[in-house]
Amino acid sequence: MKHFINIIADPIYSFPIFSLLFFAMIKWYRVVGTKKFAWVSLAISIPVTVWFLADPQFIKIILWPDNIPINILVILIAFLTWFPLYKAAENDKRLEAGLEPIEALPENREKVWAWPNLVYTELFAIIAGTIFLVVWAIIFKAPLEEPANTTWAPNPAKAPWYFLGLQEMLVYFDPWMAGVVLPGLIVVGLIAIPYLDTNPKGNGYYCFQDRKFAITSFLYGWLVLWIYLIIVGTFLRGPNWTFYGPFEYWDFHKVVAEYNVNLSEFLWLKWLNTSMPKNIFVREILGIILTVGYIVVLPILSLKTKFGKEMLEKIGAIRYYIVVFLAISMCSLPIKMVLRWLFSLKYIIALPEIELNL
Amino acid sequence: MSKKQEPGMAYDMSKLNKIFAFLSVGLLITTFWVFLDDYIRPWKAVQLEAMQIRRDKLQEKVEEAKKSIDQEKLAELQAQLAEGEEAAKKRQAEIAALEAEINKIDKDIKEETITNGRLNSMVSATTFKYEIANSHGDANARALLATLRDYKEKFEISRDRMKTLEASMKAKNKALDALRAEVIEAEKGIADITRTLDLLKISLAKTDVTPVFAVRNAPFLDFLDPTLKIQQLVIDKVEDDRYFVSVPKVDRCITCHTFIDQEGYEDQPNPHKTHPNLELMVGTDSKHPMKQFGCTSCHGGEGHRVHDFNSAAHIPQNEEQKAEWIEKYNWHEPHKIPQPMFKLQHTEASCVKCHQGVEHLPGAAKLNEGWDKIEEYGCYACHKIEGWEHKRTPGPSLEKISAKIDKEFFKNWVWSPKEFNSHAKMPSFFAQSNNSKDEFMEKNVVEVNAITEYVWDKAQDYKPFAKYQGGNKERGKELIKEVGCMGCHGVEGYEAESKKVGAYAGPYLTGTGSKVKSADWLVSWLIKPSHYQENTIMPSFRLSDREANDITAYLMSLRNKKFEKLKFEELNKDLRDELLVEYFAAFDTLEVAAQKVEAMSDREKTLELGYRSIGKYGCYSCHSVEGFDGRAGIGPELTKEGSKPLTQFGFNQQHDIEHSRDGWIKAHLINPRRWDGGLDKPFKDLTRMPNYYMTEKEADSITLAILGQVADEVPLKGIKRMSAHEKLANEGMKVVNKYSCVGCHSVDGWGGKVVKMYDDTNEAPPQLNMQGFRVQSDWLYHFLGNVQPIRPWLKIRMPSFNLSTEEKNAIVTGFQAKSSQPTFVANDEKVEWEPGERAAAVKLFEALACASCHTTGFNKDQASAPNLYKAKPRLRPDWMEAWLHNPQKFVPGTVMPSFWEGGESLEEGILGGDADKQVKALVKYILEIGENEIRSPMRR
Repeated sequence: MKHFINIIADPIYSFPIFSLLFFAMIKWYRVVGTKKFAWVSLAISIPVTVWFLADPQFIKIILWPDNIPINILVILIAFLTWFPLYKAAENDKRLEAGLEPIEALPENREKVWAWPNLVYTELFAIIAGTIFLVVWAIIFKAPLEEPANTTWAPNPAKAPWYFLGLQEMLVYFDPWMAGVVLPGLIVVGLIAIPYLDTNPKGNGYYCFQDRKFAITSFLYGWLVLWIYLIIVGTFLRGPNWTFYGPFEYWDFHKVVAEYNVNLSEFLWLKWLNTSMPKNIFVREILGIILTVGYIVVLPILSLKTKFGKEMLEKIGAIRYYIVVFLAISMCSLPIKMVLRWLFSLKYIIALPEIELNL
Repeated sequence: MSKKQEPGMAYDMSKLNKIFAFLSVGLLITTFWVFLDDYIRPWKAVQLEAMQIRRDKLQEKVEEAKKSIDQEKLAELQAQLAEGEEAAKKRQAEIAALEAEINKIDKDIKEETITNGRLNSMVSATTFKYEIANSHGDANARALLATLRDYKEKFEISRDRMKTLEASMKAKNKALDALRAEVIEAEKGIADITRTLDLLKISLAKTDVTPVFAVRNAPFLDFLDPTLKIQQLVIDKVEDDRYFVSVPKVDRCITCHTFIDQEGYEDQPNPHKTHPNLELMVGTDSKHPMKQFGCTSCHGGEGHRVHDFNSAAHIPQNEEQKAEWIEKYNWHEPHKIPQPMFKLQHTEASCVKCHQGVEHLPGAAKLNEGWDKIEEYGCYACHKIEGWEHKRTPGPSLEKISAKIDKEFFKNWVWSPKEFNSHAKMPSFFAQSNNSKDEFMEKNVVEVNAITEYVWDKAQDYKPFAKYQGGNKERGKELIKEVGCMGCHGVEGYEAESKKVGAYAGPYLTGTGSKVKSADWLVSWLIKPSHYQENTIMPSFRLSDREANDITAYLMSLRNKKFEKLKFEELNKDLRDELLVEYFAAFDTLEVAAQKVEAMSDREKTLELGYRSIGKYGCYSCHSVEGFDGRAGIGPELTKEGSKPLTQFGFNQQHDIEHSRDGWIKAHLINPRRWDGGLDKPFKDLTRMPNYYMTEKEADSITLAILGQVADEVPLKGIKRMSAHEKLANEGMKVVNKYSCVGCHSVDGWGGKVVKMYDDTNEAPPQLNMQGFRVQSDWLYHFLGNVQPIRPWLKIRMPSFNLSTEEKNAIVTGFQAKSSQPTFVANDEKVEWEPGERAAAVKLFEALACASCHTTGFNKDQASAPNLYKAKPRLRPDWMEAWLHNPQKFVPGTVMPSFWEGGESLEEGILGGDADKQVKALVKYILEIGENEIRSPMRR
């Protein structure tokens, strides 16, 4: 069993599994969003967690001081994902029955004094938070290490936990893409959300039906492309950034076969059986065509669909194209991951001469 | 929200207040917890414990001091004191009057001091003003001069008053003392007796837990001036690499190891124990005082970290201690520490850091043992180690091998040296754990055949110059023990003695008859080894033909029948070609390589494979073989092995090997081929380091020496830099070690292995203690090139070494420098006698019966001591004097009697019984009788 888990934890399997689970959760959100489901899940996960923790290797990783916040984060995320789904499921049921959402009930619309109702409770939160942090700092000492030593770099060299998703992206993309372009797009995209999302529904109350696309696409980016990658980067990446299953000993000498090939090499050497053209742009022509097609043609094609037409109508052309661009940028990550696993594809466009690798 | 609150409120206020109170208490508790967590440090507990130990020790001492006080005398003095006080009481009125006067004068003196001081400063200030005014020609100069003179006058008057006051103060005090004379005397007497006790009591009081102690060490307040605090040493002689810069080493070990430099705590458990070797280390008077060398310079570890037991990177010395520490200190392996502490038994490894390039390091027994083992097994031949470049090649030359042994023996020997000679130093390359598969064995057989052909092809012709004429093997066996072969060789037939001596400079002589091709060769070799191999260290023992033949007879009678019967497999030509193709294919395609091989003749192929195989296994590192001049050894350099990161040691699949540097090195030494276990390696990539079949103890010794090869850059001021004398001495000792002089002679306590074979050390080779002080340089130089027996009663012979002029000079200057002696001491002057001195010397010579042992030239008896007629050219006069005064000091256990023990003469009637005069006279006499022996060019 442990061996099986070690194998399926590998992103090659766990990423599709996680994605499928995500979409299942979205599809059956009304089942997920019930207290019964929460209790059952908790009842199942406790013995499973205990069984995991009984493994010496797994517990070693879990109790590594750097990883404590991530453990807390994982538990919090699970709850904070379930809770809105639960609320949304309740409200959606009421809305379908023609009732107002719970938040709009008269007793919930009543106004109260900011002092003491808000300010006082905020003070509680501050004190409780301080106590928590202090106790944590006393019990789990800061994981400070030796003075830096140029000849003895830590291995694995890990980013702070909140950047581990980015670091995981480096496995699949050129550093320039994974370290600059994509994070930049993430930040810009997050800033742009309020200006792109003109849907007035869902303000002030939990719901799903009214904001299907917004919630699904955001949660996919958040849970699958960010949190999942952090979990992988934290618990499953060991020395040399090699993948290790949750029960696998972090053997420094583990070697993984990774020989990746560029798309242009596939095209010229394998399919056309000829030498690589001297002109670098001609050499990469297939990648360039595909990329341009992905970025330019795909948004235009998307207008042919019913969904695209409706959305264009709702939010206007400029917003529409920005949304589509952000969405396909986001999707480039899973696409590249799958291509890497299936074909050992290195870069779609490989132009190291001008520092452009996609 | 079923329960309705008052309007505008979401919560019940009193409930909120309760939560607030609860949280506030929680915060208060955590705040205290923070301070407490910061305050409670493991080392504080240790220091408190140390305080208690010190207190107990002091209390013991106080008790002892109390006991040692003469109570009767004390009581007497106390009675005197009481009496005195009684007497003083009677003079109370006078005393009181005097004291009042003294107080008055004291007041006057203090007042006068003020007046005086003020006037003094006014004089200085006005002097300045006046001088400036005067030099500028200012109008007020005159007025200023008048003021200045006025001040000066007043100052003088004040000073005079002061003198008067002081004089009267003195007189009054004296008078007062006279009135209380008895009291003062008694008090002084008591203080004299109780001084030690009083001092001890003061020390003891310092260990009291007083309120002041509590306040100084209280939480919050302990930043001011705590008594419990981190103690540290800053060592600028040794540096640590921190944050990309080298900074002086900071060692805080003494925070817990409180008494490490103080005698008297040897009985305490760690960390309170005194250092076990205060004389050499840590002690203030030692060569390595704590304040200059710290702790981690030698022990390794993180000396600046005192957070807890683990942070210092303590390493347990064995599994037992490990278990104990895990139990006691929650010990775990240190993380990311480049140089954790050495295991206790490996501490001497650190000596190498500063003491480099020396042959022998007095005081470092374990390290010397490791160095000896490296020398014995010749590790340095394949692995470069800085400082070992001068060593000879460990194996014999193969340049004339065809004259010595036959091919069949050679092949079988190379295949498995231990099978022929279980003491063989030659390691085993074949039939090991990683190459005993049939496929590999077959290829190895081809390689050994090819190596043999190559060596024989290159071997030069050699004809022994002597003929074996048969001999008495019993006599030969005796001779081997007598003349001194066993200083370098173990010998079959003398197993017990060989084991005792443990000589390794030459091979263990067993089965020689099965090995050596012809007895003629052996006779020639024994008579003149350099005839066969010019650079051999094997000396000539000046054997007569008879003796050489006898020894040959014995050695040729030693046979290894089982080994003789071995038949080595023939060379498989197909496999040979296959191997060659593999070599050629390194740079060519298989096809081209095969063509190249095809184009060669059968002989060429064999020789080519032989050449390549010798290169592959590194045979040439230990044996001189033609065609390999100047090639470096095949092993990796070990100069900085002790600092190699643990991650670079290939543990491969050997998970049961301790994961540490020493664990790897030791395992590697015991069986180097183990790392191939569980791996799929092609023939050409198999680990080649041969198996020495080392014992654990041997492997441990070498591990220690290798661990010391660290990359730490010790600043010049920290490294032991040899003085000119020490350098010369070391150069000399290199030659002394090369020729295994230390196999027979103990040189200032180093070596002398063969001595262990003798029950009476006087039958063994002489000890060379302070040899440079003992002998004349020109004599020693001459002696080394032309050995003449000095001690006729010794059966063991000083051999004649084939030394170059440089080597002889190095030995001579080395010994002089080692004893800090000038190179030459003039001995060409005629002896000048004081009146009557010569007669006294002769008389003394008779009285002490010198000639009863030093018979040569005096009577016909058997000599049991050196010829005194030859003492003058050989010995230094100063040494002779020192020797006569105390022979045991130079040669412990010598039969030479100590006639002047403790500076007292046995012959009181001669020269007034003055030891110095007697010794001088005797030395003069010996110098005189040796007059005719001087042949040195310095003779007038």
